[in-house]
Amino acid sequence: MADKVLTANRLSDGISVWLDAAGTWNESLQAAFVARHKEAVEALEATGKQAFADNKVVDVNVVDVEEIDGVLRPLRMRERIRALGPTIAYAAGYAGLTATAAPA
Amino acid sequence: MTKIWNESGFVADDPWIIETEEVQAGSNEKAILGLDAFLAKKDGTDLGVLINPADDVRRLEGHLDRLALVAVAFPAFNDGRAFSHASLLRSRLGFTGEVRAVGDVLIDQIPLMLRCGVDSFAVSNATALKRLAESRLPGIDNHYQPTARPSQDVGSYSWRRRA
Amino acid sequence: MYRYDEFDHAFVSGRVEQFRDQVTRRLSGELAEDAFKPLRLMNGVYLQLHAYMLRVAIPYGTLNARQMRMLAHIARKYDRGYGHFTTRQNIQYNWPKLSELPDALAELATVEMHALQTSGNCIRNVTADHFAGAAADEVADPRPYAEILRQWSSVHPEFSFLPRKFKIAVTGAERDRAAIQVHDIGLHLKKNEKGEIGFAVYVGGGQGRTPMIAKKIRDFLPEEDLLSYTTAIMRVYNLHGRRDNKYKARIKILVHETGAEELARQVEVEFADLRDSELKLPERDVAAISAYFAPPELAPRAEGWASLAQWKKADEDFARWVHQNVQPHKHPDYGMVTISLKPIGGIPGDATDAQMEAVADIAEEYAFDEIRVSHEQNLILPHVALADLEPIYRGLVAAGLATANAGLITDIIACPGLDYCALANARSIPVAQEISTRFGAPERQAEIGELKIKISGCINACGHHHVGHIGLLGVEKKGEELYQITLGGSGDENTSIGEIIGRGFEPEKVTDAIEVIVDTYLGLRLNPSEIFLDAYRRVGPQPFKDALYGDKTAEAA
Repeated sequence: MADKVLTANRLSDGISVWLDAAGTWNESLQAAFVARHKEAVEALEATGKQAFADNKVVDVNVVDVEEIDGVLRPLRMRERIRALGPTIAYAAGYAGLTATAAPA
Repeated sequence: MTKIWNESGFVADDPWIIETEEVQAGSNEKAILGLDAFLAKKDGTDLGVLINPADDVRRLEGHLDRLALVAVAFPAFNDGRAFSHASLLRSRLGFTGEVRAVGDVLIDQIPLMLRCGVDSFAVSNATALKRLAESRLPGIDNHYQPTARPSQDVGSYSWRRRA
Repeated sequence: MYRYDEFDHAFVSGRVEQFRDQVTRRLSGELAEDAFKPLRLMNGVYLQLHAYMLRVAIPYGTLNARQMRMLAHIARKYDRGYGHFTTRQNIQYNWPKLSELPDALAELATVEMHALQTSGNCIRNVTADHFAGAAADEVADPRPYAEILRQWSSVHPEFSFLPRKFKIAVTGAERDRAAIQVHDIGLHLKKNEKGEIGFAVYVGGGQGRTPMIAKKIRDFLPEEDLLSYTTAIMRVYNLHGRRDNKYKARIKILVHETGAEELARQVEVEFADLRDSELKLPERDVAAISAYFAPPELAPRAEGWASLAQWKKADEDFARWVHQNVQPHKHPDYGMVTISLKPIGGIPGDATDAQMEAVADIAEEYAFDEIRVSHEQNLILPHVALADLEPIYRGLVAAGLATANAGLITDIIACPGLDYCALANARSIPVAQEISTRFGAPERQAEIGELKIKISGCINACGHHHVGHIGLLGVEKKGEELYQITLGGSGDENTSIGEIIGRGFEPEKVTDAIEVIVDTYLGLRLNPSEIFLDAYRRVGPQPFKDALYGDKTAEAA
């Protein structure tokens, strides 16, 4: 079984978030709690369902990750882009954005 | 719990029951029949019929005088066929009896249903019940199109109306 | 352009308050997500990969400086300083907060803008020729009819929960610049032998999973029947369009499965009952709406001819920009300017708030305060005196908006793709950037000539790849991105769907593949004025397949 994390988008502002070990929704994938066995995954799924029902988050999903040298890397490219942000080079003057390298 | 609402308020003692294989109308109740069952019934007046989304509402033509109520079904709130059924019932077939929305009836769609000629609603959704009890319907008064339910001319472009 | 009256203002304010109530109920939990979703979609609010996305309507792509400045303000205040102009003439913002959207919509309402029905299973933005009212070849301006359809379709109670989205486009010339044949309803405004105005009506065009070219179901629909006939089509679709399968729910499938003739018959039956109803359009209403679209007072500016010649001689870059980005206007002293939002190596269709402000300033000073958005993700100034081209050009250069590539290989249309979009399978923007950089040299572009590349990051085809001269479709294969190439598509009056030419290419091989295609074309064209599309239609796919795949059998990926 691949390692898994719980991800969603915050209801109020839509920002991608991951559930951390303290049970809070964190904007960084690297803070995510990693479920490594079945019971932990089930607990994650239950937490996700509850958070959706509590209107904190939407579009809740358990996604596969691997850990390489302590860095979490989602297995699907889509999830890597969600974690890192758009991969494109922006023109000067685009506020609040920096270019990110393609998520290898 | 399902309550019946119309623009005069909630209806106490509504007699109508949608008949299925399991559920039959009792002695104090009036049956809303499926379309085929209604058309097969050769006699009776003051009857009720249920129009499902895939039904052809025009099959009721010529039978309207025997009908007191036509229920139009919204099995899912986003199945919009019943908006056309209600519109055709009123504007094409000229039905003047009660048109009732049944199924997944939510508060945000009720103003649209009203404009299509629906005049009563079988409501179970909690928020809808609450808002109806408060008479707080979320419609917009200015309309950009004439509909089955007539509304006020505003003396502007021919397609504009007001509630 | 159209100006709101009291009725419109009251409507749009009512709509904002309605949405505010819905958002409040959603945030408190009183309204569940599955009930909220279609409501937020009907207010243009999507949930994407990173955040929400707001799609603001720009009706038939027409706006003025004041509205453009508001779009810049929205970008600054509610987003991250930029917006993206789309293939349906709208604008998208990628980072708004749901909790702030009612306020953003309230601000938009103050300048007669909204996000109504830019998503959802309802009638969407009615698009039109971006050169409407100015093009030398126009028979009649399609925009008054687009405006009438826009009003009539706003919160239409019978058609708010259709089987699927519904897109209408209107064109008013023989040349189709609105791609009407790949729309659910395409309207070709024309005159009959008596000189009366009417429409050829096309139904069932579309791209996406199953691209189809629309069928003409009416050769001439009189003007007064526009709303009743459209209602007839919508009612037939609402009742009979498939609701069992999201991918078979567009009207194009209904036309295909029913047969165009039978569908036309059903529409005519419904229309017969509606034709003399209150939907008949009185002449005075058409005239009143048309009056809003009267062309500006275009004073003779004949001095522009000499000035233009001098400026062109003095500045090669300016000359190139005029040659490529300025099209003939009805009035000989004027031109139509394309402001390219495709800087070499840049993000197609994006503009910063500063760039939007710059366009607003130029439009106000030199272009009769009128701006258009084209479905090719560029901006247009439809009425510009030749005598003012040089100062406009300087202003555009300063804002990074003077790329002289309208219609050329670097004028790429690309959807946001997997960098933003939750529906995507692959990225489109980096692919566009790399192609643009490779072919960026002006001489190379001029040599290649007109070549429309369109890129979609998934089968939904928002990048319109099916009608690209070269189309690229990004797919996901074994967790990696792969790009299928189609050739020979076109969205103009001779609409064609591009043909897949063989197995797909990995991201790092795509640009080389494009280069092979271009070199093959350059090698076989009759002369430099035979554009890529015409050469392809003459020789077919084989030379390109051979060049790309050798003489191995090329199986589609």
